Amino acid sequence: MVRSPAAPFLIAEGVAKAFGGAQALSDVSLAMAPGEVHGLVGANGAGKSTLIRILAGLVTPDRGRIRLDGEDITVSSPQHATALGMSFIHQELAFIPGMTVLQNIMLGVPKATRFGMIDWGRIAREVEPVARRVGITAPLSSNVKGLSTAENWLINICRALVRKARLIVMDEPTASLSASESRKLFAIVEDLARSGVAVLYVSHRLDEILRLCDRVTVFRDGRSVAGFARAELSHAGLVEAIVGGAVRRTTKPAEPPPQGVVALKVSNLARRPKVEGVSFDLHHGEVLGIGGLVGAGRSELARLIYGADAPDTGTMELDGAPYAPHRPADAVAAGLGLVPEERRADGLVLTKSVAFNLTIPNLAKIVHSPLLPLIDDRRRSALAEQTVRDLAIKTTGIEAPVGRLSGGNQQKVVIGRWLIRAPKVLILDEPTRGVDIGARGEIHRLIRDLAAEGVAVLVISSEPDEQPDLCDRVLVMVEGRIVRELKGAELTRQAIIEASYARAAAAEETPS
Amino acid sequence: MTAPAARRRLSPRAKAALGIFARYATIVGLVAMIVAFSLVSPRAFPTLNNFTNVLNQASLTMIIAAGLTLAVIVGELDLSIGFAASLHGILVTGLIVSNQLPIPVAVAIVLVAGAVIGLINGLIVTKIKVNSVIATLGVGTILTGLAFAYSAGVPIVSGVPEDFLQLSLGRWLFGIPNNILIMVVVLGGLWTLVERTAIGQEIQAVGGNPSAARLAGIDTDRIKILGFVISGVCAALTGILLASRLGSGTASAADGYLLTAFAAVFLGSATLRDGEFHVLGTLIGALIIAFGFNGLNIFGAPTFSQYVLQGAILIVAVGLSSLGRSISES
Repeated sequence: MVRSPAAPFLIAEGVAKAFGGAQALSDVSLAMAPGEVHGLVGANGAGKSTLIRILAGLVTPDRGRIRLDGEDITVSSPQHATALGMSFIHQELAFIPGMTVLQNIMLGVPKATRFGMIDWGRIAREVEPVARRVGITAPLSSNVKGLSTAENWLINICRALVRKARLIVMDEPTASLSASESRKLFAIVEDLARSGVAVLYVSHRLDEILRLCDRVTVFRDGRSVAGFARAELSHAGLVEAIVGGAVRRTTKPAEPPPQGVVALKVSNLARRPKVEGVSFDLHHGEVLGIGGLVGAGRSELARLIYGADAPDTGTMELDGAPYAPHRPADAVAAGLGLVPEERRADGLVLTKSVAFNLTIPNLAKIVHSPLLPLIDDRRRSALAEQTVRDLAIKTTGIEAPVGRLSGGNQQKVVIGRWLIRAPKVLILDEPTRGVDIGARGEIHRLIRDLAAEGVAVLVISSEPDEQPDLCDRVLVMVEGRIVRELKGAELTRQAIIEASYARAAAAEETPS
Repeated sequence: MTAPAARRRLSPRAKAALGIFARYATIVGLVAMIVAFSLVSPRAFPTLNNFTNVLNQASLTMIIAAGLTLAVIVGELDLSIGFAASLHGILVTGLIVSNQLPIPVAVAIVLVAGAVIGLINGLIVTKIKVNSVIATLGVGTILTGLAFAYSAGVPIVSGVPEDFLQLSLGRWLFGIPNNILIMVVVLGGLWTLVERTAIGQEIQAVGGNPSAARLAGIDTDRIKILGFVISGVCAALTGILLASRLGSGTASAADGYLLTAFAAVFLGSATLRDGEFHVLGTLIGALIIAFGFNGLNIFGAPTFSQYVLQGAILIVAVGLSSLGRSISES
């Protein structure tokens, strides 16, 4: 579908933004022309979301300029972004349940009135053709509650059109859609473009990008590194731009993969649609990485293994015995530990002390006796002091509130809690996120030491360099399935990213 | 990510000062109130007799409020306690007077009934996932209905044996009123449970961050149910002691304990710790309320002022509590 090129109406140039010490955007540029579908791609953390948040008025850039119709603008708030004709559709769609489709479409839009009352009849007549055009089949008067994710997307697109949006930003639109729903969405996107609306299409799914987009911009490490016109687009070219440099195999000598005893055997574990049948063996003494893009189903897999969610199908064995946890307490009793992704929200009781947080799963070790379950302060202090020393946790003391510690030291507290238990299996989800470089090295050493002691370690990470540094073996997940096993010489940053962009079709062919 | 500008910024010094104010305001208030009442009314107020009397009266509030403290520590509210205590008061007098049961047996049955009500509250909240405000309000209302059904709307006043009255009115040890002795045992026990035992650490973890507690391997549902059961048993004990003190069982005798208990618990959470619920704090909160009302009585303040004070205390208490929390989180 070749469309006549129009002059860009929205241009972002040299935009930069840092959060604390982290440079989320260093220098990105993007130009949107009316009627074009513009793809935006990049690995986890490349800066796509930050740019969208800047356009949406949620974040103010440190440097750079954004021009709309030739005038410099600063988007000050989401309301301002709407007034400028920009509409944003996110993965998590927010509707007011209990309201009708029409009421949700009209939320925050000035409404026609009659004698001072909202004239819903007239509004419905006006909205109806727009709704039909974007493919909403549900009556406008029906409740949004029972509608599917696909229909929610359509309602959002309709809302954008009613607000006369010139630019619609879609963030991973097909993440929760079926294949046929996706095809319908593509048709609507193409129809939007024909009518002159610009669509910024953000997706990890390169096949969709190839099919849909007139132009594609690639972000890497906070910079816009490549731009492709439709004629120049290819899957290999995009992957190369995303990864940085041609994908090549390193010649690093293969280390013998550790083949200890199987600690955890996972067979065909599924919780649809996020985890679609996953099987693997995790050995004692091994650090196994689960790689892939954000949203590939890695954290969901960890939750299944840990008993935080119930699987639809599949079985697990722990040291040869059947293992089917109903709740995390079962997993902990069986000898597992989890260092969760969101350590402040899910890992720590922030107002409580370091000692409190270290001893939570280890209370049996600090009471006088099982018959007299009173806390023995000497044992409690000794255990906490020892762990603080062993892990070199920087704190003013074991009674200091854990919320006052730095991110790296907080993470060490969460890890230390499980160290005390000497677990069989330790799962770490993003173990070094938000941790400074020194603490990162220490945490990596800790993980390797644990494996050396025979613990089976599972590491989920979105940082491209982390798994090649840390893991003996990496399983790459795409859309809920394991598509690739990488070990030894194959295990490189490039190989992980490349496999993360494996086509969905390839994912379906892989036996699970 | 929230915009940093949107969050209120305090200088470290102002924060520290506010923190100290919030932590000690209640204790300073208690001492100031005692001093003021003593100066204004040196004959009637600052006497051993009056203090013992205040503590004796406050003991029932302290017991029911300490039970409630366990429910709020695990992050839930228990609005059924006042109604439950009323029902238990009728039940215990009924079992003794109508069913001729020995006093210890009747008391034991009612305590078990209190535990069962707590268990029901806990199961509704954790398993059916009904918000605890709604669940316990519903259960409490049903209990009021049961109380009227059991007593047929008529208070049980005659035939209450003297031995049962002695449970509350007696002074079995060192001349200290039994209510105070029982209160000390209950609060001491609960303080030990929360602060000094393994299960208490789990209770505090569930209250501090339920998600983290669950992922650390704590069975959070079991801990929440335990909180409700303790709350239920303490409500039963309060109902029993009130019936013993009044010498009768009346269908709504203990309903008023609900608001007083909440005021005590929230005042207590603002005491010594930044908005954290704890048993010692509840004790201090209950003392403040008790001395406040005692002072009003001594000065012969009109009835309406008691309601005004009660409402005001509740609001101030919750305000101080959330101020403490916002300081500790900022």
